[in-house]
Amino acid sequence: MTENGSSVNVPPRIALDRGDNDVWHLQLAGEWTLAQSETLSTIDRSLPAGFGDSAARGKTIRVGGEIDALDSAGALRLARIVDGMEQGGAAVDLEALPQSQRNVIELLKGRLPPPKTPRPPREGVLAGIGRVTVAKFTEGNAFLAFIGELVVRGGKLIAFPWRIRWREVVAEIEAAGLRALGIVGLLSFLVGMVMAYQAGATLADFGANILIVNLVAIITLREMGPLLTAIIVAGRTGSSYTAQLGTMRITEEIDALRSIGISPFDMLILPKIIALMVVLPLLTVFANLLGLLGGAVVAAYRFEVSFAVYFDRLPEVVDLTTLMLGLIKTPVFAIAIALIGCMQGMRVAGSALAVGRATTVSVVQATFLVIVLDAGFSVLFNLMGY
Amino acid sequence: MAPIARLSGIRNCFGDECVHDGLSLELPPGRITALVGGSGTGKTVLLRTLSMLRRPDAGQLELFGEDALAVGERAQRDLRRRIGLLFQGGALFTALTVLENVMLPLREHTSLRGHWLEELAMSKVLLAGLPADSAGKYPAELSGGMVKRAALARALALDPRLLILDEPTSGLDPIAAAGFDDLIRELTDSLGLTVIQATHDLDSIWRGSDVVAFLARKRVLAFAPAAELAQRDEPELVAYFQGSRSAEYAKLGTSQPGTSRGSA
Repeated sequence: MTENGSSVNVPPRIALDRGDNDVWHLQLAGEWTLAQSETLSTIDRSLPAGFGDSAARGKTIRVGGEIDALDSAGALRLARIVDGMEQGGAAVDLEALPQSQRNVIELLKGRLPPPKTPRPPREGVLAGIGRVTVAKFTEGNAFLAFIGELVVRGGKLIAFPWRIRWREVVAEIEAAGLRALGIVGLLSFLVGMVMAYQAGATLADFGANILIVNLVAIITLREMGPLLTAIIVAGRTGSSYTAQLGTMRITEEIDALRSIGISPFDMLILPKIIALMVVLPLLTVFANLLGLLGGAVVAAYRFEVSFAVYFDRLPEVVDLTTLMLGLIKTPVFAIAIALIGCMQGMRVAGSALAVGRATTVSVVQATFLVIVLDAGFSVLFNLMGY
Repeated sequence: MAPIARLSGIRNCFGDECVHDGLSLELPPGRITALVGGSGTGKTVLLRTLSMLRRPDAGQLELFGEDALAVGERAQRDLRRRIGLLFQGGALFTALTVLENVMLPLREHTSLRGHWLEELAMSKVLLAGLPADSAGKYPAELSGGMVKRAALARALALDPRLLILDEPTSGLDPIAAAGFDDLIRELTDSLGLTVIQATHDLDSIWRGSDVVAFLARKRVLAFAPAAELAQRDEPELVAYFQGSRSAEYAKLGTSQPGTSRGSA
């Protein structure tokens, strides 16, 4: 093909010599290569117009001349021209070209792409809205089906708890709980500090520094601890569930499990849900502690509420009920996060790209659902008088 | 004419473990070379060295007459353009359709745009033996054989002179594999390609290749047509070529270069 080293930039040329008899000559010259694509794209204009018509019918066209370089782009162009002549009823004779160039042209001529690649029609706005709507309903449907499967399968396992795969549960607890301690603790501590700063800045104006304890403690125990932890876990663990299950779907590991008679639900999904239900309340307690500590540090060093005073006052402003009102939400959050993470993972189909997309969707949906649930709990508790 | 590709004194090590030591190989231009050897003899590593994806720990790599290990980044890019590489698993970009996969190198390295670009890419897709309607499909929608062909179309996009194939027929059924061998042969002859393919497929070794480079003892132990290798008495070659299935091919005597099936 192209001798790339010997490129001297001679534009391709083509000329048709119509003899008086039945043999015409098509003279080629120059470089028929990608580098000359500008000239190549318009080269058939230097041929007589309407060449594909019957003008050349019954003629023999001898192709000759010296092509300095020929690559597949040039050969494709030539193949098109030759094909056009043949369609018009001419006999094309390539014998005068070197064997190697003839080979390429013949090869491409045998497999010419259709002149215009047909494009699938673009979908209209209405069709788009419809498709998205259907997709959302399917999504909701799948979520309901998933909950159904959880209830049926999980219910059975409650009756026979020894059938739960405890080894997997423990492994998941380690991954989702133990290894999340660092980030959950650090972030809670920082948020505790931030709250104390904001509360203190206002309260100090009134000399009511001591009320920092009330604010930080109640907000941390009832909202910030559970919510922050759930959101961190949704981002950290929920996404990893989706990625893991999604990848296993693509590599057919899920099907392999099924084929050897192991239910992927029992083996992979249920342990994750159980583990998260155990882990999330524990992580929340940990987050609460660190949040209160963060508040205490700021209160002591910035707002003259010493540690002793801070922790003396704590039991007076919050009690077990406050703690429980926060904690009672966490298993529900856990189920939501694990369910969405697993469901999105199990719905992955096709390619590596789908895993990434599903992971994004999983985090967005889990975070969304956690906040919606939390708002629901707030309303509920309010109605109940807490 | 400068050789297409020449390796000399190549050493490739992973930690203390060396898979190649003092390996030398020169590819005969315009021919299909089969790279053969047991598992773990570093076939893929050698192909990666050849395609400049892995820098050898020692030795020289000469591509198209240039010292590929010494040239600058720009020259390296130019060399890479002249090499088409078919990865074992196809390595198609899953986010792109087949046609877009083929268009990507063309768009990146040429000034082609629009209809022209699409037409040229489409001709590569057809050249690789795919039906026209597969051009709009995503890799996930293709069968194993079609993935290989789509990957071949992408490898051919920039008119490479050297085509490197890593297990092109693995995972294909015998008929599809034979079809792929024929395709490679046809392209080699028509486009004047130089081809090296790592393979385990006896059909590809005996019929689909002109010459066999046999990897063992960390180097190219033997370099000859399959029929000659079958006569040699090194234990590795004996083990590989005296197997009952290989013996069938030797009896048929179909391995002489030039009589390979599909050649023009």
